[in-house]
Amino acid sequence: MHTTKSLPPRIKRIWGYSALGSLLALLVITGLLWLAHQFWHWTPWLAVLGAILTVIEPVIEFALIPYRYRFSRYQITPTAVEMQSGWLFKKRLAIPIARVQNVTLNAGPLLQWQHLTQVTVATAATSHTIEGLELPVAEQLRDQIMQLAQEARHDPA
Amino acid sequence: MTQPKHTHPLGYLQHTAKQLKDYWFLILLALWQWGNLSAFWRLTMVLALVVWLLVWPLLQWLTLTYLIEPTAVVVNSGIFIRHHQHIPYSRIQTVQRKQWFYLRPFHLETVQIETASHQDDEPEVKLPAVPTTVADTLNAYRFDLPLTPDSAPATAQTAPETAAPDLPDIRQRYVTNPHSMVLFALTGTGIIPLALVLLTLYGKLPHQWTDSLINDATHWAVPLLIGGAILVLLVAWLGAFAWILIRYYHFTLTRTSSQLQVAKGLFQRNTITAPLARVQAVRCKQTILRQWLHLQTVQILLASKAATDDDNDDLVILPAIVQSRLYTTLNPFIDWTPPMAPRLTQLIVPRPARWLLSRNAVLVVILPVLIVGWLWQPWGWLSALLIPLAILQGQYAARNTAGSLLTHQLLVLQTGHFWTRETFFVRKAQIQSLRVTWSVWMQKRQLAHLTVNVRHGNHNQEITLRYISAKQAERLYQWYKA
Repeated sequence: MHTTKSLPPRIKRIWGYSALGSLLALLVITGLLWLAHQFWHWTPWLAVLGAILTVIEPVIEFALIPYRYRFSRYQITPTAVEMQSGWLFKKRLAIPIARVQNVTLNAGPLLQWQHLTQVTVATAATSHTIEGLELPVAEQLRDQIMQLAQEARHDPA
Repeated sequence: MTQPKHTHPLGYLQHTAKQLKDYWFLILLALWQWGNLSAFWRLTMVLALVVWLLVWPLLQWLTLTYLIEPTAVVVNSGIFIRHHQHIPYSRIQTVQRKQWFYLRPFHLETVQIETASHQDDEPEVKLPAVPTTVADTLNAYRFDLPLTPDSAPATAQTAPETAAPDLPDIRQRYVTNPHSMVLFALTGTGIIPLALVLLTLYGKLPHQWTDSLINDATHWAVPLLIGGAILVLLVAWLGAFAWILIRYYHFTLTRTSSQLQVAKGLFQRNTITAPLARVQAVRCKQTILRQWLHLQTVQILLASKAATDDDNDDLVILPAIVQSRLYTTLNPFIDWTPPMAPRLTQLIVPRPARWLLSRNAVLVVILPVLIVGWLWQPWGWLSALLIPLAILQGQYAARNTAGSLLTHQLLVLQTGHFWTRETFFVRKAQIQSLRVTWSVWMQKRQLAHLTVNVRHGNHNQEITLRYISAKQAERLYQWYKA
């Protein structure tokens, strides 16, 4: 276990802002539902439901951040990329380096602002994402995976 | 053959037929609105339809040219946007030849070429109505080339590179046995959608008919109605039966040193060639009905969409094979499958965990049952029958979940979804990724879910064994990542 790495701590801040974003979006939706009730006489229960969701969803999202951080880990060995996440519902995933087709770095505005980036590892069938890494670490990781993938492919194993 | 060639003029017919097939509803729309339109609009509409259904295919035909070069197939197409495709032979996954009966006298056929690129729906290249020599030339060029290992993961393992690359070198041939084929057609599930459609039509019969019938013979009304329903089901069953027999008519599987070839079909003869080295996995599939009859269907998962008409887009290589002969028949065609029935005892659902699958199935149906029952009282409560069905399905899934690591390279996984047992044979090199998941509660009972991802068509085939022993799942995880 000691070789697995955790995500950079700043990712928690990103998750916090994204929870705030959900709060805003839900507020807007609830507001619209309320307006619909005012003008087109939609049932008020829709707005009430929206309001309940607006309170509950961001609270849960905020509350889960420490867990999400603590249990999201990744590891690169010479043969495989491994990811794990979750505590209540645990998940472990292995992608052999030789199966890796490409590695993509993606960063939305929030991640860019924090100089972080998502790393997506794609195989011929599936793709899997590490939620956020420091930009230099991510680039190094990408080069490392692609380097290993090249070697694995030339090696007729 | 240095100049790009047009396809045969009959190809125009194929383009038109496809356009009609895709846009027949426009004609219906036109006929429906005919009465409401002025002469001017009628003319405009007819012109538009003529252009769209007759002239457009002509342009398609005119702009489609192809060239078979020693190293690649070159295809030019497109009316407003010109496409220029250049496909090297080593990239080709499958070549499919389709010959409608009316093209046979002219020695023409439709050729479709697929590569492994992630492009959905349409094949990379479709040449309607070209001489049969085109595919022959193409195949000759294709197999003269030594199979270069490409970037696709399919060839990462050791493929027989020394294979002599001549086409007529036939190693194995299999023709379906008529008896199994009839059983196979009789047990097809195609009857279900067909029966539903026909029963709906039956329900929509004009009321005067049924009413007058009932008036004429009141005491016969119920038997008559039920008899009618049975007749409809019988027709659906015969239809499904004939459909399968026509589609799989004279099914032949041939193996050369490096290729598998499947030929089938009565009105449209369909021949598909796929390289053995590109087979991602083998799947044996049987519904519960065919389980009782000991009849299996074998498919191969390929990294291209060569077999869109087949079940789940996967190429059927043995449509109906008797269980006891399955492994001895399959092994000569695909070397790495086991020569006899494997014992799948490593990955099973432990007995105390079986009820979990039933519980989950019930959880899926309970809410719809409550809603339907509450909304359409009292008949809606009939849907409660789904609950025992779900419990049984859970038990079925639990009993059929199995798997074993047969050799260090070969994994066998078996699942039971929707009253269908599927057995997958996958080599380690073709598994794209592997996942183990478990919840806190499962951890206490030492259970886990195992998911294996394999490329299939242009997508991912997830094979999931649920509620197996955590220790075995962990063992597989360690085997896989090493």
